[in-house]
Amino acid sequence: MKIRLKVIFFLFAFVFAVKAQDRLSIQLDFANNLFNNKQFYDAITEYKRFQFFDSTKTFNYEINYKIGECYKAGAKYDDAVKFFSLAELNARTDDELFDSKTQIIRTNILRRTSDRALQLCNELEKDQRFSGKRDQINYWRGWAYIFADKWDEAAKSFTRINSNHELKKLAEQTEKAKVSVTFAKVISYILPGAGAIYTGKFLSGLMSLGWNLLSGYWTINSFVENRVFDGVVIAELVWLRFYRGAIQNAEEFAQEKNLEVSNKSLRYLQNEYKGIRP
Amino acid sequence: MLRTKITNRLLIVILLIIVPPTTINCQLATDGNILSFQNRLRFGNYLYYEKDYLRAADEFKEYLRSESNDTIVFRLANSYFQIGRYTEAANNFKGLFFGSQLSEEARLMFYESVFFQNDYKLFRVLAEEQNFGSSIYSKDIERLKYISYFLDNSRLPEENLVLKSFPDSVQSRLLNFYQQKKFPKYKSITTSVILSTLIPGAGKIYTGEVGDGITSLIATALTTYLAITNFKADHQFRGWMFSGLAAFFYAGNIYGSAASAQIYNARIQFNFDNEVRLFFEHRNYFLPKIDY
Repeated sequence: MKIRLKVIFFLFAFVFAVKAQDRLSIQLDFANNLFNNKQFYDAITEYKRFQFFDSTKTFNYEINYKIGECYKAGAKYDDAVKFFSLAELNARTDDELFDSKTQIIRTNILRRTSDRALQLCNELEKDQRFSGKRDQINYWRGWAYIFADKWDEAAKSFTRINSNHELKKLAEQTEKAKVSVTFAKVISYILPGAGAIYTGKFLSGLMSLGWNLLSGYWTINSFVENRVFDGVVIAELVWLRFYRGAIQNAEEFAQEKNLEVSNKSLRYLQNEYKGIRP
Repeated sequence: MLRTKITNRLLIVILLIIVPPTTINCQLATDGNILSFQNRLRFGNYLYYEKDYLRAADEFKEYLRSESNDTIVFRLANSYFQIGRYTEAANNFKGLFFGSQLSEEARLMFYESVFFQNDYKLFRVLAEEQNFGSSIYSKDIERLKYISYFLDNSRLPEENLVLKSFPDSVQSRLLNFYQQKKFPKYKSITTSVILSTLIPGAGKIYTGEVGDGITSLIATALTTYLAITNFKADHQFRGWMFSGLAAFFYAGNIYGSAASAQIYNARIQFNFDNEVRLFFEHRNYFLPKIDY
């Protein structure tokens, strides 16, 4: 009789435990559902609620990882890094550790702390546990270089994965489409306006050349007519102003052009690239 | 018989080991429902201490639908306060004014919520309101009222009235602020314009822009000189061009002087506002720290 009672008590206790666990499972499913429907704010709340009530802490890695993803999707990058770091601390396998670390790298890329992302890539590469994941590390390193606007370095990183890698080609094309800021300035020293023409600003370049020719003529003409002081003042106030302006313009135009080229490639990556993005 | 006893004991031991899973989910309150009001409260408190105030406020709001609890209303209001939703914070603090043990603290926090809405005139009107006043924190509210005078364009009250609300350690600093606020060292726009009309660049020098003033003077003088010499050399086009430039520089110098005086005054005001705000922020507006 006593044994029967104990068995009943045991079954009751077991059922109670299973029921409570069921509620938590439902809660987790609910949170996952919100996450899948991209309702990230609510998903964070429900993941946190699950985490608070689940005293077994079995899902600590998964929950922190998901919360990190939600914050990342909501562009709350600092919070995202915090939760990915918590996931990293709760990782049970090398794969989980690697995933959480790469998420931290990806978040760093997105928040434009490229140096930190590169530093983390280097640390991962040195870690022997991840020697089989070199391609992934190089992939994210390439992305970090892209966001740091170092397309040539990005191309090198993608080459290490595959010499025909789509992103390698894109990075090379972008680098090729860029203009040299130094070259634009140097040719403007030699022929004012040439730098602007080199960057594709033909009208501005020709105008600049015209102003320089006119002010140069006035300066020389003043000296020819023995009005030396006039010549000096016109040279200083007018000619030199246009001459320096042409050089400064060349530099600005070249920088603008490079920014346009980079932005075009970034837009492609954002809207059309099918591979994994940060 | 002995065997049965051993079996029974063994069963009890096993039960003791196995039964704790029922308490594994000990975080769940007795009803086991995660979304019960009690569990919402516990979760809300957890979020509150984690400083996730936005979510904590949602949980507290849900909990307060089930029962009234002054501490939770206070926490709800404080959550709104912490995330900068001052109007909602003030409304919730107001609900604790009467018949609550947290009445005094709520009154102070209500004033803080109104103060941080940056509507200082409204704040001062409310600070005079007798019904809202706090007996414990009346000095803090009064101090906040005097601080508000430094933060907007209202006329300052008597020097003694303002200063006596603050500790001795900051008296000289506050006196300095008081003098700066009452007698700001502005530059006159009219004087600046007249000076520049008489001597190009002089207005700018008056407003402290010495380099710009000298440049203005040189540019106007040189272009005028160039206009004259070009006319003399019978270069009509260049003569007119430099005349135009000289007129442009002269007019620009007058307009620039007026703008320079305005910028100077705005800078004085901006620096003063920044300095005052930093001073009070650094000292948490001399407010006591309240949390429940």
